[in-house]
Amino acid sequence: MIALEVKDLNKKYPDFHLKDVSFQLEKGYIMGFIGANGAGKTTTIKSILNMIHLDSGEIHILGKNMVEHELELKQDIGVAVGGMNFYTRSKIKTLTNRIKKFYKNWDEVTYRNCLRKFKLDENKKIIELSEGMKIKYSLSLALSHGAKLLILDEPTSGLDPVARDNLLDIFQELVVDGEISILFSTHITSDLEKCADFITFIEDGQIIQSMEKEEFKESYRLLNGNESQLNQVKEKLISYKINSFGFTGLIHLKDFDPSSDMKASVPTLEEIMIFFAKREDMYV
Amino acid sequence: MYNLVMKDFKLGINPWFLAMPFLLGALMLIPGWIYLLVPQYFFWISVPNIFGQFKAQNDLMLTMTLPVSKKDKVKARVIVMVILELLHIGVAMIFGLFTIHLYPNVDYLFFAPHMGFWGVCFVMLGIFNIIFIPMFYKTAYKYGAAMIASVVATLLFSIGVQWLAIQNSFIFDTFNGTGADNTMLQLTILLVGIAIFAVFTIVSYNIAIKRFEKVDI
Repeated sequence: MIALEVKDLNKKYPDFHLKDVSFQLEKGYIMGFIGANGAGKTTTIKSILNMIHLDSGEIHILGKNMVEHELELKQDIGVAVGGMNFYTRSKIKTLTNRIKKFYKNWDEVTYRNCLRKFKLDENKKIIELSEGMKIKYSLSLALSHGAKLLILDEPTSGLDPVARDNLLDIFQELVVDGEISILFSTHITSDLEKCADFITFIEDGQIIQSMEKEEFKESYRLLNGNESQLNQVKEKLISYKINSFGFTGLIHLKDFDPSSDMKASVPTLEEIMIFFAKREDMYV
Repeated sequence: MYNLVMKDFKLGINPWFLAMPFLLGALMLIPGWIYLLVPQYFFWISVPNIFGQFKAQNDLMLTMTLPVSKKDKVKARVIVMVILELLHIGVAMIFGLFTIHLYPNVDYLFFAPHMGFWGVCFVMLGIFNIIFIPMFYKTAYKYGAAMIASVVATLLFSIGVQWLAIQNSFIFDTFNGTGADNTMLQLTILLVGIAIFAVFTIVSYNIAIKRFEKVDI
């Protein structure tokens, strides 16, 4: 079953354009949504949550159209957009007592278990929580109302390595039963190396690729060579950097000639992101 | 929708603003004062503080993630405002009754706090609502321009109506003179004022919904 289907999203702003954004997230998996700052991650997430009006395109969540079934679907979605930055001077229990009233399937036992598991003190104010704890609180709320799809905007940004690793383990635990699916945006690609099953890569408002993580990385090669070799492949490279030894560049696997004597390796997600961003700069 | 109203009162609005009507209403005890100013403290103090708090606490973002329709979000916020307005005016009316009985021999230059005067106050609150609410919902978080426009409009209305009541002997007589003893006349003015307040608020709510539907968060 498809947990989230994004089809041909288009949204034009004066200085930014979301162009034909499409991808699918299968139930029970984690999808990493990566892209540089300003690539369109948050705009896409806001579109998914029906916060902005689309010029065209459709969102289906758990098989239902988001625009037509927004209220019903929001019962099944857990959201953490830009951290837990509302009513930060209120205590956790005050905020929870208000928020829980909106959810039909609120389960107090699950909530209590989450607080215990995540070591959250409900008498603490939101502002007293670390960034990691804020995300854990958002997750507690989402899990307590039985969310099937978690949409998290940059949940790991601002977290120390230990807290990040801990959170990524939690994400993986959540999807084990196959009921919960997670879409999380980030620009910290190492997080996705650890826990994402699928990668959707957005650059300048357009989806570059959306596929299984290893397949995604395998579809590119990182080339190293000297300057004369650069001239042979220059036209086919997505972008390249000149250094004192020659060049390093990113190429689509289909454009790469394995018989050439250039050193080729499978790039990391970070390298793919950097070279795509560099391509934008080269054409500016 | 009830949950949204309660969320505003329990999370967004400091309980102090529920005490304000009682403190400000007590201004009615000043003999022969410009009583039109009393309900205006609501938009001078409570409204900017409350809406500033909503903006600072990112209330819009919270409500957008909740499973409630945009229409209900507007309806709840308008209901919250109306509750506060009724609290301000209701408490002031009670203090007004005391004023009339405490100082029976005061010569009123400005409006005396009879029922008809409260009708005028309701119209003033209606004018505030019809300007503030639709302007606020152009963005659902910027309240400054809406504040200025609505406060200026209500000030102009109150200066105009007060000036007329001083200058025009018929109007003066209706509110402060022999008309003040005519209960039917006073009640009619009050009911007409309430009706205008209700119509203006309902119109402002409908415009606000249309505007808010178009807002990209």
